[in-house]
Amino acid sequence: MLHPPVTNLPIKAEVRNFNFFYGNFHALKNVNLPLCEKKVTAMIGPSGCGKSTLLRSFNRMHDLYPGNRYEGAIVLHPDQTNLLDPRVDPIEVRMRLSMVFQKPNPFPKSIYENVAYGLRVRGIKKRSILDDKVEEALTSAALWHEVKHRLKDMAFALSGGQQQRMCIARALATAPEILLFDEPTSALDPIATGSIEELINELKHQITILIVTHNMQQAARVSDFTAYMYLGELIEFGNTNEIFIKPRDKRTEDYITGRFG
Amino acid sequence: MSEHLSRQFDAELDGIRASLTRMGGMVEEQVRSALTAFAEGDRDLIELVIARDAGVDEMEIAIDTACMHVIARRQPTAIDLRMVMSAGKVVTDLERIGDEAKKIARATRKILERGSHGPTQILEVRHTGELAATMLNRVLDAFVRLDIETAADIVRCDREIDQHFRAIVRQLITYMMEDPRTISTALDIVFIAKSVERIGDHCKNVAEDIVYIAKGRDVRHMGLDGLKREIAAE
Amino acid sequence: MSSSSSSLQTARLRTEIKRRRRWDLVFIVIGIFALLLGLMTLATLFIDMLIDGWERLHPEFFTSFPSRRAAHAGILSAWVGSLAVMVVTGTVAIPLGVATGIWLEEYAPRHWVTNVIEININNLAGVPSIIFGLLALGLFVYSFNLGQSIRTAGLTLALLILPVMIVGTREAIRSIPQSIREGAYALGATRWQTVQHHILPYSLPGILTGVIIGMARAIGETAPIITIGALTFIAFLPPPPITDAPPFLSFEWLEAPFTVMPIQIFNWTSRPESAFQHNAAAAGLVLVAMTLIMNGLAILLRYRLRKNIKW
Repeated sequence: MLHPPVTNLPIKAEVRNFNFFYGNFHALKNVNLPLCEKKVTAMIGPSGCGKSTLLRSFNRMHDLYPGNRYEGAIVLHPDQTNLLDPRVDPIEVRMRLSMVFQKPNPFPKSIYENVAYGLRVRGIKKRSILDDKVEEALTSAALWHEVKHRLKDMAFALSGGQQQRMCIARALATAPEILLFDEPTSALDPIATGSIEELINELKHQITILIVTHNMQQAARVSDFTAYMYLGELIEFGNTNEIFIKPRDKRTEDYITGRFG
Repeated sequence: MSEHLSRQFDAELDGIRASLTRMGGMVEEQVRSALTAFAEGDRDLIELVIARDAGVDEMEIAIDTACMHVIARRQPTAIDLRMVMSAGKVVTDLERIGDEAKKIARATRKILERGSHGPTQILEVRHTGELAATMLNRVLDAFVRLDIETAADIVRCDREIDQHFRAIVRQLITYMMEDPRTISTALDIVFIAKSVERIGDHCKNVAEDIVYIAKGRDVRHMGLDGLKREIAAE
Repeated sequence: MSSSSSSLQTARLRTEIKRRRRWDLVFIVIGIFALLLGLMTLATLFIDMLIDGWERLHPEFFTSFPSRRAAHAGILSAWVGSLAVMVVTGTVAIPLGVATGIWLEEYAPRHWVTNVIEININNLAGVPSIIFGLLALGLFVYSFNLGQSIRTAGLTLALLILPVMIVGTREAIRSIPQSIREGAYALGATRWQTVQHHILPYSLPGILTGVIIGMARAIGETAPIITIGALTFIAFLPPPPITDAPPFLSFEWLEAPFTVMPIQIFNWTSRPESAFQHNAAAAGLVLVAMTLIMNGLAILLRYRLRKNIKW
C-alpha cells in the first residue's frame, strides 16, 4: 500500500502487514501505517475498530496477557528494529516507546518518584541526574511551575488534568523515541483536555506522537495525519486536512460527518 | 447522501438549502422584473424592484446566521463543512445579484426621467438578461442537486454572456459616435449590460462552489478547461 | 377542572408512596431485631464470663503455673506456649503464603494446572481444623519424628492458616488496578521490579490484615493442637531462646513440650470444682482480649498504611 501524503517526509516507524488475533477473533486485518517523524498521527474509528489494539501493539502491552497473537512487523527507523520480533525483549521496546493511558494512572507515590520511576527502573540512582531529568520532564509537560514546590506531595493530590500531565512527564523523562497516547483526555474536563492538546502541539517539535482518540474533533485539532479504522481494517490514511475536508473513502466520510449508523 | 445520526442536524442543513433556494427564487424574480421594467419602461415595476431589495438583504443575513449556528454547534466536517462554507459564499453572490437588479432598475429610472433621447430599446440587452436569469435558475437547481455537469455548463454560459456584453458595448459605441446626444442614455444602457454581465459572473461563482461541495476541489481561477479536467478526475 | 383532577392524582401518588414506605419500616424493625438478637447473646456470654472471671484477673494469674489448687493456678505456661507457637506459625506461614499469593497473581500462567491449584487452595481453607490435626499427627509426629513439640504445633497451625494467607494476599493484590501494573510495565519495568516497587507496597495493608486475621484464628484453635498431643498440665517453661554462653541463641525451645491458652481453658472447664470454672472464665477473657488486640492492630495498620494509597 502506498501512502501518497507522506512520501517526502522522514518516517519514524512503519506498521507492515500487521494482523492481530484475540484467541480466534481476527481483530486487526493486514494493517499498514507509517508514522512520520515529529508529527502527530491520530487513529480514529468507532469503538471496537481496533485502534487501541494497534496502539498497544507498539509497546507490546499485549504480551502481558495470554491468548493474544500477532503477525507482521512494526519497524522502528532508523535502526530497522522490528518491535514485534520475539527476539526483541519487550522491556527494550517499552524503554524506547512511552505510553500515556486513558485514565491518569499515577503511582501512589510522590510526584517526584512518579516522574523519576522510569529512570529508577533503569538503575539510575544518582540524585543530581534524577533531579535534572525530573525537572526537565516536568517542564516539557508544562507542569514544573505548578509543582516545583510540592514535589514531595503525593501524586493523587493533583487535579485530574495535572495528574495526566504528570503521567506525560513520567513518559517523557526517559527520552523515548515515540510517545503513544491512548485516549488521553477521555477522563478529563474540557479545560484540562485543552491543556493536554496544547501540550501535544508543543511536544511534536521534539518527538513522534501516535494518539488514539474517540473525539474526532480532537484528532482534527491535534494531528497532522489521521488514520480511520473500521472493523479491524485501516480504511483510510491521509493528511488530517484532507480527511476532514474531502476524505477519499465513503466510509470515512460517513463516520466523520456523523452519518455512521 | 445518507442521513446523519442527528436528525436535527439534517433538518438544519436542509433548512439552509431551502432558504438558499427561496432566496434564489426572490433574486431571480428581481432580475426578471428589472429587465421587464427596462424593456417596457414600467415605472411602477422599477419602484417595486428597488423596494423589494431590502427583503433579499434580510434573507442574506438570516442564512449567514444559520450557517454560523451550524458551524458553532455542529462542527461540520467533510461534505457538510464544504456545504456550509459554500452556502455562505453563495448567499453573498445572490445578494450581489439582487444589488445588480436594483442597479438595473435605477439606471432604467434615469433613462425614463431623461426622456427618449437615444437607443432605449436594445434587444440584445434584453436577450442577454434573459440568458442570465435562466442561468441563475439553473445554477440554483444544480446547487440543490449537486449537479456538476450543469455547473460546468453554467461556466460555459458565462463566457457566452461576456461575448454578448462586448457586442452590446460595440453597438452602443456606434450610437454614441453617430449622435453625441445619446451618450448619457447609452452609458446607462452600458451600465445595465454590465450588471447583466456581473450576474453571469456571480452565477459562475455559484457553479464553482457546487463543484467544490461535490468534489472537494477548488476550481476557481482555473478556466473552463481546467474545470472540466477536475470534474472528469477520479 | 384540570386542577382538581391533578390534585386527585397527587393524592393518589401520596397514598401509593405511603404504602411503599410502610414496608421500609417493617424491614428496619426486622433488621434491628436480628442485629440485637445476635449482639445481645454475645454480650450476655461475655458479661457472664466477665462476672465469673473478673476476680481472678490479678498479676499472679499471669505469672503462675497451673496448680491443683484453683486459687493458686495461673496461665503462665499457656500464654508463653501460645506465643511460642505463634512465632513458629508466623515465621512459616507468612513468607510461604505471601510468596504463593504473589506468584499465583502475578506470575502464574493461566491454564488448567493453575486452575486446579487455585480450586484446591480455596477448598483447603474450608477443611475442618481437626483434619489438619490428624494430618500433622501422621506427618510431623510419626513420619518426621518432630515430637509433640512447639515446632509441630507451629507447623500444624501454619498449614491450617496458609490458605487464609494465600487467599488474603491474592485479594489484596487483586485490588490494585490493572492500570498501575500497565503503567509500570510501560515504563520498562520487569515483573520483579513491578512486584517489588508497586504490587507489594500497595497490597501490604491488605496482606497484613489477612496475616493478622489468620494468626488470630490460629491462636484460638484447639482441636488440631489436642490431636497432636499437647499436654494439658505443664508446670515449667520451654528453655529460653537467648542464652548466656555463645552463640547466645538457642532453638531448644522448639522441641519443648507445651500447652496453649485454649487447651488450658478446656482443661479447667472439665474440672468439677467451680473455682476452676472461674479460672477458665478469666483465661477466656485473656484469650478474647488477645484476639481483639490483634484484630485492632489489623484495623489500625490498614488505616495507617492505606492513607497514602488511592486509586
